Amino acid sequence: MSKLNNLFKEAKKNKKKIFIGFVTSGDPNYKSSKEIIKEMTKSCQIIEAGISFNTSTSDSPIIMEANDRAINSGMNMNKTFKLIREVKRETKTNTCFVIMTYLNPVKIFGLKKFINQCNFVGIDGVIIVDSNLNSPEEKILINGLSKKKIGYIKIISPTNDDEFIKLSIKNCRDSWLYITSYFGLTGSKNVNIDNVKKMVKRVRNYSKEIPVAVGFGVKTPSQVKQVSKYADGVICGSSIVNKVAEGHKKRLKGKKLATFVSSYVKKLSRGIKK
Amino acid sequence: MKIPPFKEINPPTKDGFWINKKTKERFGGQYISPLLVPNLKRVEKGFFKAIKDKKFMRELNEELLSFIGVNTPVHFSPELTKLAGGEKKIGKIYLKRTDLHTNHSHKPVSAYSCCKLAKYLGFKKILTETGAFQNGRAVASACAALGLDLDIYVGANDAKKLAINKDISALHGANIIEVHDSTKSLLPAMAAALRAFQSEPDSMYVVGSVAGPHPYPLMVRTFGSVIGRITKKQFKNLVGKDPSTIFSVCGGGSNMLCISYPYLKTKNTKIYAVESAGKGLKTGKHGATIGGGGKIGILLGMQSKVLLDGENIAESFTEASGLDFSSIGTEVAFLQSVGRIKFLTATDLEAKKTFMMMARKVGLICAIEACYVIHAAIKEIRKIGKPKQNHLIHLCGAGEPNVAQMMEHMKKNK
Repeated sequence: MSKLNNLFKEAKKNKKKIFIGFVTSGDPNYKSSKEIIKEMTKSCQIIEAGISFNTSTSDSPIIMEANDRAINSGMNMNKTFKLIREVKRETKTNTCFVIMTYLNPVKIFGLKKFINQCNFVGIDGVIIVDSNLNSPEEKILINGLSKKKIGYIKIISPTNDDEFIKLSIKNCRDSWLYITSYFGLTGSKNVNIDNVKKMVKRVRNYSKEIPVAVGFGVKTPSQVKQVSKYADGVICGSSIVNKVAEGHKKRLKGKKLATFVSSYVKKLSRGIKK
Repeated sequence: MKIPPFKEINPPTKDGFWINKKTKERFGGQYISPLLVPNLKRVEKGFFKAIKDKKFMRELNEELLSFIGVNTPVHFSPELTKLAGGEKKIGKIYLKRTDLHTNHSHKPVSAYSCCKLAKYLGFKKILTETGAFQNGRAVASACAALGLDLDIYVGANDAKKLAINKDISALHGANIIEVHDSTKSLLPAMAAALRAFQSEPDSMYVVGSVAGPHPYPLMVRTFGSVIGRITKKQFKNLVGKDPSTIFSVCGGGSNMLCISYPYLKTKNTKIYAVESAGKGLKTGKHGATIGGGGKIGILLGMQSKVLLDGENIAESFTEASGLDFSSIGTEVAFLQSVGRIKFLTATDLEAKKTFMMMARKVGLICAIEACYVIHAAIKEIRKIGKPKQNHLIHLCGAGEPNVAQMMEHMKKNK
């Protein structure tokens, strides 16, 4: 069983929910980003590390700016693997690591090489935003990652039809199903609780077991709490990345920036325990 | 002349891929976030329904003839023929004049058709992107005629360059949104329009080229091929046979594919596409995806040939905004891969010299984009050097928007 599977299973047994924090790797640069992620391991059970792509078609302006900062500081796929490896070594954390990116960087890096690197570094799950359910790349990723017991996470949104939801559940491996709480870009609106309720219900029509985590527009501890009533996990992304931008504008660096960001992440994560 | 009916002669797979069977390379697909899937499904289903709907197609064709004026001439160009070496050496050069459409470029054919489809499907608003503002202007005019709202996404740098077409789009009532992301050119503008499409389910995205996720490349070339269908008939009427060569400029490849499509299975017609070599291929500052050694990548919802910078998309460079694109359309990439289309390049400077030559010797003010193809075509036709051949050059746009830029060039080179 994969580490992600175990995490959700244990949480369910103990009636607990999972807090997932997203941050762009290498934002604003390698050194500060490493400190931020190290600090985040203290309050996140799962960290989603975004690998930037300069022509992304689904990111909000907040994430786009983070992508630019990371790319301009020389960040890429290899360096992200290095960063996560160092974080894991230096913190000895139990936190799971998930990579979130687009297909172009993965394809250029090489699909097989990517899977092997994920295995080598100990990545627990992968989200590829624009990998189509029927594409040939999707099959290679699912098979390759499954063999190494690495989770493969699919995203669904309120406008997707039942057929799409069924296929997404099928393609999900050893992980969770990512539900977006609204139709639009990450972090552009506030979480829509009605949608969350409906979406979880729709998923449960097809799978009783698959863990579901909800993201998009979850920005406050009380929103985290609300979402956690219906989902197995809660994902906060844009608001954390926004905090990195805010600290960066204040010229905070390294550990100071990490403390500034992580104190916010800590507050968010407490929403689950309230 | 009536518009000849459409025939599918190069179909993609059900998932929108064109596959090179020898190399196993795939071009096309739908590489998008799950949030965009329902919108694309609606467009795809609607498109296939519309092209089978006789009433829709009859109306569309009538409006393309009357409002867009698709019956633009194909005519012999004695000046270019002479310039290339004379009839005895190179045969004859003909021009297809899509610069004479309403809105002065090839773009209005697919732009108007896609907006008409949007209206047919019940959308109230259009989202599009533009580089040279030829597509922006064409869509703006179509939306005004069809009573649709419009947001045009344009790279902030392009918006500065082409003031006239931007102003004309605004006069038509379009809302113009400047994009300040990354290179501030066509590529980030297209990404921004796709992001907007993800946030506005009641709006339809209209792409300005044969690019983007399935069904857009298929849809734009199917609608746009009206140009090629008419051309094929006109050329046969005028010359008595098909052309030996067709030359078109290629940014994303819409004007190239729309004129060449009906000739894809015509063995005796060679098809050429001309990319911008910018400051020269060796300088690295160019917009030549094929000429510059582009590799297979995934961007803007499609798998195609792309200029890469590590794991990211590289910046293209050319003074012609319409050619400032780091990739090419999916079917175009496929046709290049199987050897059906030959690619050439011309530099920015060569295009400017050709602009002046066309103004002074031929009496036409051509879009700067069209000057790349005229330059490269003359060079290639000289190289072919066979009499009794009939060459066709696609003059795909008028040059009014380039007047300020060219006045500067003229002053500098006095």
